[in-house]
Amino acid sequence: MSFLEFLAGRWTEILGLTLEHVVLVVISTVAGVLIAVPLGLAITRIPALGRPVLGFAGVIQTVPSLALFGLLIPLPFIGGIGSRTAIIALVLYALLPILRNTVTGVRQVDPAILDAANGMGMTDWQRLTLVEVPLALPSIFSGIRIATVVGVGLVTIAAAVGAGGLGSLIFRGLAMLDSRLLFAGAIPSAILALLADAGLAMLESRLVASRGASTS
Amino acid sequence: MTGVAISFREVTKSFGDKRVLDRVTLDVSPGEVLVLLGRSGCGKTTLLRLVNRLVDADGGGVFVGGREVADWDPVELRRGIGYAIQGVGLLPHLSVGDNVSLVPRLLGWNPDRRRERAAEMLRLVGLDPREHGDRRPDQLSGGQRQRVGVARALAADPQALLMDEPFGAVDPIGRRSLQEEFRSLSRELRKTVLFVTHDVTEAFRLADRIAVVADGGIRQVGTPGEIADAPADALVRGLIEGAA
Ligand SMILES: Nc1ncnc2c1ncn2[C@@H]1O[C@H](COP(=O)(O)OP(=O)(O)OP(=O)(O)O)[C@@H](O)[C@H]1O
Ligand SMILES: [Mg+2]
Repeated sequence: MSFLEFLAGRWTEILGLTLEHVVLVVISTVAGVLIAVPLGLAITRIPALGRPVLGFAGVIQTVPSLALFGLLIPLPFIGGIGSRTAIIALVLYALLPILRNTVTGVRQVDPAILDAANGMGMTDWQRLTLVEVPLALPSIFSGIRIATVVGVGLVTIAAAVGAGGLGSLIFRGLAMLDSRLLFAGAIPSAILALLADAGLAMLESRLVASRGASTS
Repeated sequence: MTGVAISFREVTKSFGDKRVLDRVTLDVSPGEVLVLLGRSGCGKTTLLRLVNRLVDADGGGVFVGGREVADWDPVELRRGIGYAIQGVGLLPHLSVGDNVSLVPRLLGWNPDRRRERAAEMLRLVGLDPREHGDRRPDQLSGGQRQRVGVARALAADPQALLMDEPFGAVDPIGRRSLQEEFRSLSRELRKTVLFVTHDVTEAFRLADRIAVVADGGIRQVGTPGEIADAPADALVRGLIEGAA
């Protein structure tokens, strides 16, 4: 039986797992954005927050993903086997790139522009929303893109704690020494990562272009 | 709105151990263009920024229209004072028109009135609102950007204008025409203008009066003619002769 025939026989299962995979990535990235962007903006206003928050996110990033999944399982409430544990770990991993890009994006805004904004009489909130966030948007967005692409890879590992997704094919392939199963999980996951990267890159350039043409 | 008086009374300012301004007293009359002239680092920008409270004085007082700036809410104070700086500080993500009408927007003007105002201001500084209004700042020449900076500073009809080397980044020819246009514009509008430059020629072209700044103090205040005819000391003489 060729690999293609093998795939043809299991395409509904692969499709289902792919969908599960995408859902896990989307949920964890969206949650990551909702936490990390406001937190990053808060850091630009309260610099004392920067060290502990970025430090915490940085430490998490150094924990190997399999170990982090494993560490979360025994915790009460958030732990256990299943996708909930996986999503918590995935969100934690998404934090750093988004946080860092939000903070650097805002900090990179030309001081002359901030000076002009202050001199015009903007409140701090107006400066943030009318000047700093719009100018930091490309950087924030590329942080989101990194988090998403990394997330696609991490979700495969999350199958180890029973999260589902394409990783479950890979782990089954490993356990059964069946390379066809392994590829049936790995190839779609790689394609997903590439698609996510390309799609978000396209959205990013659209975003920049439309900001270039809008009037409000 | 025609200009209000700006006064500095015994103003002192230090950054760390460094005393930048030492008991500076200076009066800017309503409707006049007063140029602060001096070498780099002498404290011109600091003096200017005391007026809209981008810098707060350590001692003494700064008054706008007779009211001490320390008593104002800085945001409200700044919306009533036009501010134009070198490099302009236009917001790169907004159109030229939206940049010009930013302060009106902060003041809550409705969009129609803002658009109208932006067009009027652009025409005032010699730009065509239909040709330039929808462009991004980076699609303009350096000189055009400086004009937009001036238009923006004027848009909310401020009681005073603060200009910090606003033509500093323009080539000499473009600079000259900007200066001439600004001269006639300021005569026409009769705003109080505090204008910073280290360019002696520019100071003599634009000023009703010049205040020569050096070593944290004002060395001489007078009309360009007075300063040219009777420089108060060797430093002032050196400064204006260096340019001649
Ligand atoms: N925020 C600040 N912190 C520390 N030092 C400052 C600050 N702003 C200005 N200074 C110092 O104060 C002095 C006066 O600065 P200021 O910007 O007023 O000079 P200037 O006359 O405008 O110079 P230039 O012509 O180069 O713009 C300089 O020595 C400068 O280094
Ligand atoms: Mg200066």
